[in-house]
Amino acid sequence: MTHPTTFGELLEQHEREIFAYALRLTGDRDDADDVYQDTFLAAFRAWPPPRRGNERAWLYRIATNKAIDRSRRAKRLVRLGDLPLAAPERDGVSVADLAMAVKTLPTGQRAAFVLRKVQGLSYAEVSDALECSEDAARSRVAVAMKKVKEAMR
Amino acid sequence: MTELDGLVTDARERLMARARREGLETVGYRVVDSPFGPLWVAVGPRGLLNIHYGAEPSPLELRRIVRAYGPGVLPDAKRVDTVARELDQYWSGKRREFDVTVDLSPLTPFQRKVLAVTARVPYGELITYAKVAHQTGNDKAYRAAAGAIGDNPIPIVVPCHRVVASDGTLGGYAGGLDAKRRLLQLERGSVPRGGWPPAHLSRI
Repeated sequence: MTHPTTFGELLEQHEREIFAYALRLTGDRDDADDVYQDTFLAAFRAWPPPRRGNERAWLYRIATNKAIDRSRRAKRLVRLGDLPLAAPERDGVSVADLAMAVKTLPTGQRAAFVLRKVQGLSYAEVSDALECSEDAARSRVAVAMKKVKEAMR
Repeated sequence: MTELDGLVTDARERLMARARREGLETVGYRVVDSPFGPLWVAVGPRGLLNIHYGAEPSPLELRRIVRAYGPGVLPDAKRVDTVARELDQYWSGKRREFDVTVDLSPLTPFQRKVLAVTARVPYGELITYAKVAHQTGNDKAYRAAAGAIGDNPIPIVVPCHRVVASDGTLGGYAGGLDAKRRLLQLERGSVPRGGWPPAHLSRI
């Protein structure tokens, strides 16, 4: 993937996965739309990306923060109606797993779980997106996984 | 198109409207169809900036656009509508001159001078690279003029396909010689195999 020099290139390279991520985090198409918009507008305003070649993790970081901000503001439970739309296409995580994860996890852990297990980011990228160390990212994903498994029993 | 793609398309439309309102978009682009396949077309605040043969922009052109207008280059179908409509009319033989304003300001003064001469060549007429150099006031700058014509960021509208070599052959073309031949066939009806007799060109 080439290093984007314009907003359009950044958008065309990453908009689909960021929208899918927002849908997986919020479970609702209107909320996902808002997170997608907030994320890209914030990225355009903050241009240029902080590090060359790191645009993907940068966008995930912004999207995670926007989703957390929104859930704090809304102070309501996540709706689950649109989750099947964002069904993961790989790595064996089913919609049921995901719905369970969304239902049981606090937003920070949910983000770690979705980034690693659904979006397929490396732990280095997850730590970048969540602004924490790689160890902390591993531990958040592990805690999230444990909770998901418990919730599924 | 999946349902997710549909949602992303709708979300993008709203995002573009907000980006425009906030003044984040400086240049709008869209890919338009042509008899030669897709063309990447960009329109900036001062007019048409680029027509590139292909669905992706040329990295060189994009750098030039970003240097002039910043990174706010975003998909914007509406902004390209007028150019797209005029191009369609040109392909169907219904248009002989383009009314859109072109923006050559990101180019060097020499490139602008050469392309200004090129832009004055009427529909269906020919000019040689040497004659273009002569009309820019520097007969010796023949190769530099040919280089500037080869780098024309707005082919078709700035009709560099009407510029041919002094020996009567087609010379070069960024979209490929087949495209140049077909453009000249559209405008002139026919293009002689092997080019024109040099005597024919010496009269123009």
